[in-house]
Amino acid sequence: MRMWIYIVRRIALLVPVLIGVMTITFVLVSTIPTSERIASYYPANPRSNPSSPTIECPNNPAQQCPNPAYKIAVNALKLNQPIPVQWGYYMYNAFTFHWGYVSQTSTVGKGYSGLPPLKGLPVTNVLAAFLPYTLELALLSLFFVLIISIPLGNLSAVNRNRPIDQGARVLSFSGYALPAFILGSLVLMAAALWLAGGSSTSPICPNSTAFNEFYGSWPAISPTTESTCWLWGPKSGLTVYGYPTWLINGYQSTPTGFPTIDALIHGNGWLALDTLARIILPALVIAYGTIALLLRFVRNSMLEVMNLDFVRTARAKGLPESVVIKKHAGRNSLNVTITVLGLTFAFFLSGFPIIESVFNLYGVGRIFAFSLVQSGGTFDFGLIFGTTILFTYLVVAANIIVDILYAYLDPRVRLG
Amino acid sequence: MSVSQPLAGTPVSPEPTEEAAPKSAGPQERGRWAARFADMKRTWYFFRRNTLAVIGLGILLFFAAIFIYGYVYPAPSTSSINYCATDGPPPGLCAPGQPTVCTYPQGTSSPGPGCYVTPADFNNFIAPTVSFHPLSLGPLPMGSLVSPAAGGTAVDQGHFFNLYDLLLKGTDWSISISVAIVFSGALIGLVFGAMAGYFGGLIDEVLMRLTDVFLSIPGILLIIVIVIAGREAGIGGFTDDVTLVTAAFIVTWWPTYTRIVRSQSLVVREQKYVEAARASGASNSRILRKHVIPNSVFPVFIQMSLDVGTVPLTLAAIAYLGFIIFPSQLIPEWGSIAAAATEVIPSLFQYCATVTSSCVIPWWQILFPGIALFLFAISVNLLADGLRDALDPRLRR
Repeated sequence: MRMWIYIVRRIALLVPVLIGVMTITFVLVSTIPTSERIASYYPANPRSNPSSPTIECPNNPAQQCPNPAYKIAVNALKLNQPIPVQWGYYMYNAFTFHWGYVSQTSTVGKGYSGLPPLKGLPVTNVLAAFLPYTLELALLSLFFVLIISIPLGNLSAVNRNRPIDQGARVLSFSGYALPAFILGSLVLMAAALWLAGGSSTSPICPNSTAFNEFYGSWPAISPTTESTCWLWGPKSGLTVYGYPTWLINGYQSTPTGFPTIDALIHGNGWLALDTLARIILPALVIAYGTIALLLRFVRNSMLEVMNLDFVRTARAKGLPESVVIKKHAGRNSLNVTITVLGLTFAFFLSGFPIIESVFNLYGVGRIFAFSLVQSGGTFDFGLIFGTTILFTYLVVAANIIVDILYAYLDPRVRLG
Repeated sequence: MSVSQPLAGTPVSPEPTEEAAPKSAGPQERGRWAARFADMKRTWYFFRRNTLAVIGLGILLFFAAIFIYGYVYPAPSTSSINYCATDGPPPGLCAPGQPTVCTYPQGTSSPGPGCYVTPADFNNFIAPTVSFHPLSLGPLPMGSLVSPAAGGTAVDQGHFFNLYDLLLKGTDWSISISVAIVFSGALIGLVFGAMAGYFGGLIDEVLMRLTDVFLSIPGILLIIVIVIAGREAGIGGFTDDVTLVTAAFIVTWWPTYTRIVRSQSLVVREQKYVEAARASGASNSRILRKHVIPNSVFPVFIQMSLDVGTVPLTLAAIAYLGFIIFPSQLIPEWGSIAAAATEVIPSLFQYCATVTSSCVIPWWQILFPGIALFLFAISVNLLADGLRDALDPRLRR
């Protein structure tokens, strides 16, 4: 079978999964009261509040009259139609990226100077603006996962039941047994206290605190005083709030959205380093939890491969042991590693809302965490369900990539 | 959620099935029990040689002891008030009007028995103190925890809890919730997985696509969305949503078990004894109950023991994202304690930047719940690993 036929078949097999996911979210969305569904799925009109079924009567404010805007919204969202029609409309919206609007009561962005409120914006736009940051974090931590777990797994398979193997085992267990937010908070506190070294101001930016060197996705500089960070000079490339000038709306980095790449495009090397330095700690914390899952599989598959005949042949040929391990056994055990990586991707992504909240990084996960904690105990349903669908898309996309890589590495898969 | 490796070809005991053996046959019955006992002794022999697993078992027994002790231990007090009345704080620690009976030796370096040492700026946070008084760990051996329910910034809350009390009581809740979730998930997985593997065809296809769907939504997000939808729909209605959170966990957890049982029962289905049972006219449900499920249960058992450790960690993550099952006096679940502690850290750091004197960061509030979670999860993991090695004859060395 040709490669592209295989790819098309894999993608076609994912359609039922996506429909299933959407059906689950549809069932969950259906439990939300109608007024709140309208609030999150219908563009708000400042003059008429469509989410309330009744309003004060125009001629008698003491009485309640039916709200015409509510009726229009119910019709537009097909909420008065039979369930299958509602389901179909929901599917159509989900697949065409109409994921509703950020709630009008949303407080996202209020506590963060320079970030304008997101209320009333389309969910898709907001998520698209925050997604590159999460992707950068994910790619960096995936990089850490791979460069640590594969050599370590191979090493512990070669030195089976020796101290290195036991040490790797304890490392993987401990990564698995520590919740990311506890480890993240402790690391954050330790890093801030270490950098502060007794004083609370940052040695890098005199106008900032040591804590803010690790907390937040951009250097937070006091809006009132001139910034005199020796790293990037007085105010070069930073607005008065401490954010780069290429951050439109206070959160959307241009042109690519990836903070480090954008800083490089705008020629500010120090800021690029700073944005990278801010995601190294969270990426390591996420990687530590994921390595635990991966390491055992790398070790076991390596052990299995090393007992196969071709490895014995390679040794019998008189090849040096390092070549046998790296070229013959290592490459063949990579298949299992990639498969497991695809399987753990959902687990890997679950960590992002938490770690981005711990380090106050403005990615998709942070937005999800924000949408859960609203004043007055209401939730931002547009963002919550939008983020859930987005994360599911990411998992599905990762699985396709894994399948393709797997078929590329192992021709038996696409031929068989 | 963890990914487990399906164990192919686990030992299938070829002992005679129950229906063949008469129920009250004296010597035969005794012989079977003796054989089982001998088998257990052999397993214990192999288990004992794995040092890490024995350590895990030891820690787990320690937690079991705390679990039992938690039932007789009094519930943690909601605020400092009780401590003010009994032990007595240094001046300024209690709410006005509360009795302050403590005789804090002003000007002396060591505090008297039953007194707290308070930091200069944050007298709400009480650092851990260990006094080597006989039969006493000191008034606050693990420090205090400021409750987020009190509201306000880190600087001005009123309520704080004794962390030691909370962690002790939290053992009960964390273990109960996780055991309930894991058992329910495994039960559902056992039924569905055995059906999918045994019948195959359409049932298999539908169930497996269903697990695909559930497994492609990141676990924590699915749990949260279910909890939110349940809250909106008014399901649960229980105080602090414990039932709802548990139900959401079960919905998220069953696909993993279903997958494991299915892969196992696909192997079992082809065995000769299933064929024999079918030939002797056993019904499908009988074969499922007596042959397929008992012989696919072993990897489920391993996965369950792993997940008992994982559930409190996920519960902690959920709590951190705002679904705290904590400040209800009776339900100080470990993860919620840690989550409550982390909430004040950023504002505290920002506050500390404004004060000139030295500032106390309450590290103990995160560290001690973290240690509890860590020890529990790691002990369960080590134990599961040891059990797998001891029960699988191929791994015995």
